[in-house]
Amino acid sequence: MTLPAISVSKLVKRFGTTTVLQDIDLEIPEGKVSCLIGPSGSGKSTLLRCLAFLEEASEGMITVNGEALGFFENAKGVRERLPAGQIRSVRAQIGMVFQQFNLWPHMTALGNVSEALKTVHKVAKTEAEDRAMIQLRKVGLENRAGHYPSQLSGGQQQRVAIARALALSPKIMLFDEPTSALDPELTGEVLNVMRDLAVEGMTMVVVSHEIGFAATVGQQISFLDQGRLLFTGAPSDVFAKPRHPRLEQFLDTYLDRGASMLA
Amino acid sequence: MIFDPNVILNHLPEIISGIGVTLALWIAGMAVGVALGFVVATARRYGGRVIDWPLGLAVEVLRGTPFLIQIFLAYYGGPFIGISLDPVPCGLMCLSIYAAAYYSEVFRAGYGAVPHGHVEAGECLGLNRFQIIRRILLPEMALIVLPPSVNLAVILLKESAVLSIITVPELTTTVSAIGSQEYAFLEAIFLLAVIYWVIVEAAARLGRLAETRLSTFRFAAS
Amino acid sequence: MSFKLFTLLVQASVWTIGISAISIAIGFLIAIGLSAALLSGRRAYRRPAEFFISFFRGVPLLVQLLLIYNLLPFIGLNVPSIVAAIIGMSLCTAAYQAENLRGGFESVPKGLVEAADMVGFSPRQVFVRIKVPIAMRLTFPALVNEAIMILKSSSLVSVVGIVEITRMAQDLASSTYMPIEIFSAAALIYLVICWSVALAGRYGERALPGAVK
Repeated sequence: MTLPAISVSKLVKRFGTTTVLQDIDLEIPEGKVSCLIGPSGSGKSTLLRCLAFLEEASEGMITVNGEALGFFENAKGVRERLPAGQIRSVRAQIGMVFQQFNLWPHMTALGNVSEALKTVHKVAKTEAEDRAMIQLRKVGLENRAGHYPSQLSGGQQQRVAIARALALSPKIMLFDEPTSALDPELTGEVLNVMRDLAVEGMTMVVVSHEIGFAATVGQQISFLDQGRLLFTGAPSDVFAKPRHPRLEQFLDTYLDRGASMLA
Repeated sequence: MIFDPNVILNHLPEIISGIGVTLALWIAGMAVGVALGFVVATARRYGGRVIDWPLGLAVEVLRGTPFLIQIFLAYYGGPFIGISLDPVPCGLMCLSIYAAAYYSEVFRAGYGAVPHGHVEAGECLGLNRFQIIRRILLPEMALIVLPPSVNLAVILLKESAVLSIITVPELTTTVSAIGSQEYAFLEAIFLLAVIYWVIVEAAARLGRLAETRLSTFRFAAS
Repeated sequence: MSFKLFTLLVQASVWTIGISAISIAIGFLIAIGLSAALLSGRRAYRRPAEFFISFFRGVPLLVQLLLIYNLLPFIGLNVPSIVAAIIGMSLCTAAYQAENLRGGFESVPKGLVEAADMVGFSPRQVFVRIKVPIAMRLTFPALVNEAIMILKSSSLVSVVGIVEITRMAQDLASSTYMPIEIFSAAALIYLVICWSVALAGRYGERALPGAVK
């Protein structure tokens, strides 16, 4: 078995006195699509944000392709924070897609995608824009390159956001509820882009309410409830014969809502 | 600058009277301004284009010209069209009209901020226009218009200092006169600044208190 | 009213516009420093800035102008009254603009900064490339409003003897006995200036990159 892309051990996250994540152990396999599912407030988004180091875990360790993210254990077994440069270099392997897209409103689609190449990686403008165009073409938006986010639909904005993350050639892509802010008829175009990425063998971690997507594209499903990781397994195990009562209850709600493809 | 506190103490009654005149003009100007502003905003909303357009123009003219010019026009121009007003009534009139223009915009924004669905819900239940204003729009607007109203109140208080230019015997007039009389103009202006500062800070704090009280009341009730 | 009188008022408007524009520009520079102090999180910087803002927002501009006009000679700075007027107006508008800027920087959505963090921006790059442009866009309408306020408030520098529109109108009104015509003409000139600024502001807002059209 190959090394996991991300490995999480004994992760705890507290906000003040509330514990939102408790003893999370999780391995994200390379080249596969891992989905985090669970009811609202279960901590799945917080877990994903910890993987991006947008939230700092209170305890525990995360490694990305074998490198410690944010914290490491020194020789005495004490947890220490890594310097900012180190954090940045590990994080460079990770691309993040947000629920609210978070496109920079003062830059065009092309500007959003090429910006980090230019300012962070010091790639020449024309080359950066060429590389950005390749990504925009990939998400089907090369004809919207000159548009500002305010001139794009939600689905188009999210596809630009995916292109922005892809432009830096990340090894892992994190998706934080990428379709939750979209009108139902616009979710398809975003999910299709994600499907294409999955086919290419991108390592993906997806937090989503789209159980259909998780069931058909997901290769590893993790179920979180009240800050605990209750279950991790293949989709066939998770959806065919729900074992844990909380998981069963959670899936029932979705089946009631008409996700009948799973029945 | 040698500050002689006796100068202040000797003139304390005049200073207090100046503060009194400023506060009285301010409160009266605001009272008229709020009432007239509400009438203007309501008339513009329901009166159709024939009423909305001229009122809108008047509001824009009042908001687009300096208060000082408006005062000069009324005070020096008034007698030429048969309206000779003493400084105090003239100042009060100008302050009230100026306040009304700005308050009408606050109320207009307030009307606009109440979701149209709430009005429609009232109409469907058979409330008439007056009942909708009284029972739905006004209570919902109260919270929306309070912060800009407090801001505006503070602006008007400061604007009232301009009335000293037409010799209304308010705070600025009184204290700067004491300064000239006692050959301590800088000290007097300094004192004047401090007095305004204290009143404005007090007014702003009172306003913020009202906002918190009203908003907690609202959230508790909903 | 003769065309000549109107021309005199229009000529005086150069002073109104000039003093206002210079004060807005100087005030903006001071406001950058003040808002940085407010956002620094350090009490030693924040407190003096808060004190400054509270004072200049709490005292009528007329009183501020009188104070500065009389204070400068007292501390040995014998400057022309126009300089005193510009200093007074700049300090006043700086206090208002600083509050605008602080609000703008605080309103930059956190997610836009996170997105920049994720693609490897340094804190300085986040500030220059993301926070500043977005804060400027957010505060632009308030800046236009402030410019209009200052244009109107500049009528008060007439009290320290600067012959801008208001002072010119006063002088003409008392020499011609036509206060209604003169002050109405002055009001009209102010209206045209203020409306032009408002119009330019709306146009500028739409011309900003990425604005909702």
